Amino acid sequence: MVPIAWLLFLCVCFVGGCTESPPENIIRIGLAIAPTNLDPRLATDAPSARVNRLLYSRLVDFADDATAIPALATWEALTPTHYRFVLREPRPTFPEGTPLTAKDVLDTYRSILDPKTASPHRGLLHNIRKINTPSELAIDFFLLHPDPLFPSYLVIGILPANLIEMNHPFHENPVGSGPFLFHQRPDDSRLILKRRHDAQLMEFVKVLNPTVRTLKLLAGEIHLLQNDLPPELVTYLSENPSIFYQHKEGSKFSYIGFNHQDPIVGQKLIRKAIAHAINREQIIQFALGGRARLAQALFPPSHWVGASQLEGYGYDPMQAMELLRQAGFSRERSPTLIYKTSTDPFRLRLATIIQEQLRQVGIHMSIHSHDWGTFYGDIKSGHFQMYSLAWVGLKTPDIFRQAFHSQSVPPQGVNRGRYTDPVTDDLIAKAERTPETNQQRDLYRSLQERLLDTLPYVPLWYEDNVALSTRAIRGYTVRTDGNFDSLVHVQWATPTTLRSQIVRQTDS
Amino acid sequence: MSHFILKRIASALIGLIGVISLVFFLIHMIPGDPIDVMLGESALAADREALRQGLGLHLPLYEQWWNYFTALAQGNFGHSLFSGRPIVDLLLERIPATLHLSLIALTVAIIIALPLGLLAATRQHSLYDYGSMGFALFGMSIPNFWMGPLLILIGALWLGWFPVSGREGWNAVVLPALTLGTAMAAILARMIRSSLLEILGEDFLRTARAKGLSSIKAIVSHALPNALLPVLTLLGLQLGGLLGGAVITETVFAWPGLGLLMIEAIQQRDYPVVQAAVLCISMTYIVVNLMTDLLYAWLDPRINLQNPS
Amino acid sequence: MMRLWFPMSIIIIWGCLAILSPVLPLTPNTIDLTHILVGPNQDFWLGFDELGRSIADRLITGARTSFFVALSVVALGLLIGGILGISSGYFSGWVDHIFVRIVDIMLAFPGLLLAIALAGALGPGIENVVLALAIVGWVGYARLARGQVLALKQADHIIAAQAIGATPWRIMSRHLLPLITAPLIIEASFGIASAIIAEAGLSFLGLGVQPPEASWGSMIRDGTRYMLVAPHLVLIPGLTLMAVVLAANLLGDWLRDWLDVKEPKRFR
Repeated sequence: MVPIAWLLFLCVCFVGGCTESPPENIIRIGLAIAPTNLDPRLATDAPSARVNRLLYSRLVDFADDATAIPALATWEALTPTHYRFVLREPRPTFPEGTPLTAKDVLDTYRSILDPKTASPHRGLLHNIRKINTPSELAIDFFLLHPDPLFPSYLVIGILPANLIEMNHPFHENPVGSGPFLFHQRPDDSRLILKRRHDAQLMEFVKVLNPTVRTLKLLAGEIHLLQNDLPPELVTYLSENPSIFYQHKEGSKFSYIGFNHQDPIVGQKLIRKAIAHAINREQIIQFALGGRARLAQALFPPSHWVGASQLEGYGYDPMQAMELLRQAGFSRERSPTLIYKTSTDPFRLRLATIIQEQLRQVGIHMSIHSHDWGTFYGDIKSGHFQMYSLAWVGLKTPDIFRQAFHSQSVPPQGVNRGRYTDPVTDDLIAKAERTPETNQQRDLYRSLQERLLDTLPYVPLWYEDNVALSTRAIRGYTVRTDGNFDSLVHVQWATPTTLRSQIVRQTDS
Repeated sequence: MSHFILKRIASALIGLIGVISLVFFLIHMIPGDPIDVMLGESALAADREALRQGLGLHLPLYEQWWNYFTALAQGNFGHSLFSGRPIVDLLLERIPATLHLSLIALTVAIIIALPLGLLAATRQHSLYDYGSMGFALFGMSIPNFWMGPLLILIGALWLGWFPVSGREGWNAVVLPALTLGTAMAAILARMIRSSLLEILGEDFLRTARAKGLSSIKAIVSHALPNALLPVLTLLGLQLGGLLGGAVITETVFAWPGLGLLMIEAIQQRDYPVVQAAVLCISMTYIVVNLMTDLLYAWLDPRINLQNPS
Repeated sequence: MMRLWFPMSIIIIWGCLAILSPVLPLTPNTIDLTHILVGPNQDFWLGFDELGRSIADRLITGARTSFFVALSVVALGLLIGGILGISSGYFSGWVDHIFVRIVDIMLAFPGLLLAIALAGALGPGIENVVLALAIVGWVGYARLARGQVLALKQADHIIAAQAIGATPWRIMSRHLLPLITAPLIIEASFGIASAIIAEAGLSFLGLGVQPPEASWGSMIRDGTRYMLVAPHLVLIPGLTLMAVVLAANLLGDWLRDWLDVKEPKRFR
């Protein structure tokens, strides 16, 4: 009786571990974080935004230098406060086959502006006074104030009007006119899309552990990894002949933020000392595998607003110590700082390196690491002295107002450090009012020079984007802002029919 | 029911109450204001008050204890601070995984320990004996948070036979079960050996052999069952170690069980979930111990269940 | 004797390193970015970790943490558990009864679990680790002490001492304590081994030592992330931990055998 009981036990135990085996013809992309919200009106996180780009079309898109270019529509500023967008032919269609019309655009933007939708993008569009559709292909936007940058805010995915009316749950069941259709979401960690032009299935799989992601790539269970890997694993994979490695300069801006109301780091001399004490080149070369560029401002030089001749703070520990001395500190009286970070292992490594580099100039920094929720909450509420984060996907210069204007303290904006500088406020206001693009650019460049002088942030670097793919697929190119748009062109390296023939041959 | 069984059940109940009270005091051991710790400094005052009321921290201690107790009796474990979900749901999601792992680990432990212990006892003071016991000592000295990564390195990274972590696929349970099971196997092997050694000297065994029973048969059908009785008790006690050790093993292998839930809750300062996880595991331990005791009593004919002991 | 030299030498070597570590020229926290993840080679036998810190130096500093925690926890446990156990066993009565209930309840708890939960509640840091482990650990010593005292209470010399009017304190300290030190010491030596593992385990879970301080457990945890590219990060601290724990267990075994042989003579 006992052996039978044990046998039953074992059966139950093994059954507990069974899962179905995945079908062969899906191209899989490994992600560190799963996309959470597939409604473009509501999504703010990078993974969701990138998937939404595949599911939905948008009026306007960004060129490599982040200037606005036509996507669904071209536009004309009939007056400084009246923009007319005209949909281009051929227009993309929604899944049932109906082409996208002006009404869809109208209803999408109206619903974003509706307070009931609670869209986080509403603030960006507050300048819109009225929207009209003079014809089936044209949409008129009337603004409260002139803003030459207005078209670059219209990058949100367009939803079908009929479904908006029915309060369709887009965040669970997205319906758009993009190159991909929503196919299935078996569980929280898997999202399957279907490419429209050839019905190729693509699955975004969330795999938390970077080592596991690496192994799955090597085993062929996953075909593509983009970013979110520790530098050592990227190097390890790039040296493997069966993996195709690409990297491209990126715009993810890492920085150190300060609380400007703090008696120590509120002093500009201290911030400048910190800037000189950090050896960024060494960190980039050794800790980031060389895959980053020095940053002096929010936008890289390749951005239309970017200033290329900014002179940053080079690694100069002597100068750092001199500045500390000027601020009244000495070997006996050295400043102690608290640096807050999340529990992410890479950010902890970075924190430890910074801690050591600051220690060498006489600043004692202790690291407080908290889980993301607590950490982010502290940052938003101003409970910090210094911290490090990164801005991902910055495209439009409205971030300057959001992050540096004295009135943009949370929850109004993201000026978490409570930075206050009348010159900055003035430059921001001037730049926003200037109608001419070249003048605007010059003003934003002056603004960035000012910010480099007053150091609300100590700028660190722009991380490169890396893509690692197996030789089983081809056609993927990594983009500057780390999006997945190139998935439209990805193919199997050997066509499927040929592949199954090869498999049958090796079987027999 | 017999006096013995009643005494044991009463004992277990008292133990349960004691454990629940101990776990209840967990939140009160948090230094500083537990609300601050749980929500972070940046929480709004309204949220803080809401949590304080919700957890009943404004009531006198004995009232809090009573409320905690009655809520538990009704199966109400409260809600997670992190996700807002009822904790009962979280527990039910995770328990199968821990059970799965523990049972397979137990099986592994027995499969390793039984032959080792047998071998060592029957060939006492030989190379087999020293070898087996040395192996057992090794097993006791390797912490499972090192053995786990070691097995991952060899089994998953170098050989590629098993997944690195998680619960996908039938072979995902092998490495965690080996990790968890070998530590237990070590202790079990030593116990089996010493228990068998005691029995092997007994008269009834010599009688069996004198009657013509071969050594092996004598050992298996006469010695082993008697030797296994104290081992059974040990198994019950070791289950506690198993459940505690499962916490670390589940963390190493990202195995979605109760232990991992507890660790995640600690990191997220989600103390109601921590309380519930600790409680669940301890209650399982007490109940299993009780059943082991009863099983032992039933199996051992020397304990007369009808008369008061 | 052969059995003894291996564990003794390991314990003595690491014990000395642990004690001497503040005065040795160690740089466990010095980051050298040019040496990130460099493996063992001729110049640096143990290699470097993910921040270019010398693993050898961190190993020695970690030994100090391990030994400090282990000795503190065992000492506290012996002190509290010993006193409470002896007193409870000697005085008996309802105090003893309650004491036994409390001890049983605490022993009904899976120890590591309680330690993790306590450390989680108390917060990270080495002092809280010692506190959590001591709270969990004292019961074992208490039960042992009480059991020994109960057996000894009826011994002739104890009854004689009571008859001539010796105070309970004198009886407990002069007559009972010396006789129960043997089993307590054996328990303590196993306790050291389990405390070292427990501290490493708590640090592994992130509940003990905080960065940048070194502990064998946190070194193993940090090392698991780089196993694919630098396995020495995980292997070296793990081997050291295992060797020291094995040595402590072997010593405990040997002690038990040695003291067991002597015990029967003592009670005659």
